[in-house]
Amino acid sequence: MRVLVQLRPTELPRASLAAHAEFAEPPIDLGVLTETSLVLDHDFPPVVLPTVHAPGAVGMALALGAPADFSFEPPDVSSVVRGSIPDGDGQQAAVGELLARPEVMGVFSDPVIATTLTCGGDPPLGDAADVAARLDCARLHEAGYTGADVRVAVVDTGINDRYLQKLQRTATIDVPNSFTPAGVPTAPGAHQVAHGTMCAYDVGIAAPAATFLDHAVLLSRTPGQVQIQGLLSDAVRSFSQLRALLLADRDTPLVVSNSWGVFDPAWDFPPGHPGNYTDNPSHPFNLIVATLEDAGADILFAAGNCGLECPDGRCRFTNRPICGANSHPAVLSIAGIDTNDERVGYSSQGPGRLSAEKPDVCSYTHFKGSEVFGRGEPDSGTSAACPVAAGVVAAIRTQCPPSALPPAQLRTLIAKTATAFGAPGFDFDYGWGALSPPALVAGLPGSPQLP
Amino acid sequence: MAGMSKVMMTLKLDPKDASVDRARDLLGIDDSAIDRDFGVIAVSPDDNLYTVLVEETAAEDIQNDQAIGGPFSNPRIEPFGPPKGSDG
Repeated sequence: MRVLVQLRPTELPRASLAAHAEFAEPPIDLGVLTETSLVLDHDFPPVVLPTVHAPGAVGMALALGAPADFSFEPPDVSSVVRGSIPDGDGQQAAVGELLARPEVMGVFSDPVIATTLTCGGDPPLGDAADVAARLDCARLHEAGYTGADVRVAVVDTGINDRYLQKLQRTATIDVPNSFTPAGVPTAPGAHQVAHGTMCAYDVGIAAPAATFLDHAVLLSRTPGQVQIQGLLSDAVRSFSQLRALLLADRDTPLVVSNSWGVFDPAWDFPPGHPGNYTDNPSHPFNLIVATLEDAGADILFAAGNCGLECPDGRCRFTNRPICGANSHPAVLSIAGIDTNDERVGYSSQGPGRLSAEKPDVCSYTHFKGSEVFGRGEPDSGTSAACPVAAGVVAAIRTQCPPSALPPAQLRTLIAKTATAFGAPGFDFDYGWGALSPPALVAGLPGSPQLP
Repeated sequence: MAGMSKVMMTLKLDPKDASVDRARDLLGIDDSAIDRDFGVIAVSPDDNLYTVLVEETAAEDIQNDQAIGGPFSNPRIEPFGPPKGSDG
């Protein structure tokens, strides 16, 4: 167990240490510690501690609510050193042996500390402008990577164009090629302001000139339905329509952004069942994903919000929550990082179920953006990270169509040019790292470079 | 498994013959058991593989053969954000 040991000085310093810019160490005798079972950490320089005086305080001198005076005067200083003592049965004896030394004033625990990851319910970190800056959108747009002449299908709860216009976003909706499930009373571009509108907003950070296909799959209705959800069969119809569009017009690149998935294995046949979806590449939807990608579409799926540190309350997978099409080898599975480049605690970790090496890369989330969920509420979840990444892909496709770089090769380039965090290479938290538009553009064959 | 009123079946069909009526006849189910709005959707055109949506109860009686696969699940899907806490 790691501990901090407080020691009295062997002699009083000649003057107050408070005036020193760098605290001079009061002389302490570390030799007394060698006679104990403490293993001293010699890389940790002793730290000078004052004594606290709390005049008028009743009870503990260190009562947090009482005013206090911290004294570095010679009689009041001590030093703290760091080391370790045995765990288990020997620990109590080790502490006793230290405290028996007259030089030792106290033995304290030295627990591990870690950063607090951004979780659901936390306020936003940064805003859309910060995300744009981190993606180098200004240079991207200046070089013509804007999403112009690229279709982005937002497969979600529907887009509200009027809301986006209020945010100075001009979202061009291709109504004839959009998809609305039967029985939904609203039309493409005029759906209720909700999750799908957030996704469209986030695509527009990197691809302000993209044309949207509003595929409101998550608005499909089943008897007794009380919350926004859809059925996988509606996603099959959506993808079929997208494939037909792509085959009819191969000159217009298509990017498909999907910020949805399955939260509960109880909604599916179990893994191993031939009709299962989450683990079965032969499921019709997993087949049509491959078919659409083969036709030339860049397909992105959010990794999910079932990260170990602070999973969404709906998560019911006990392990490997990146499942079904979200883990398909023919898609980019997008994890979430905040604008401090730190993984958000709810971002699902790999391995994936259809393809183990998931997520692929990470992109930005939990920032103040569309505010569709309320003033001051963040665009959050890997739901936001996915369309941010989709916008980057759409921007790239303006200058580098699939005929020049097919989707599979673009995915490889995205992985190779991602900014790795920590150790280089792939890991199950960040994938290959953060999507890096400048490095990606530098690797494109024959396309304009950034200014 | 939470109730799925409809499930997906797959069929290998000649593209010229890819219709709801043909699928219904091959599956040997009543017309009311097949979702005509969903239709017949190509999921793997290179393999002439199509999918249809049928009532789960009808699917239980379908005899699988080399041309027929399923039933395949039709699970609920939900948007991922915003992340909800464990109490919601």
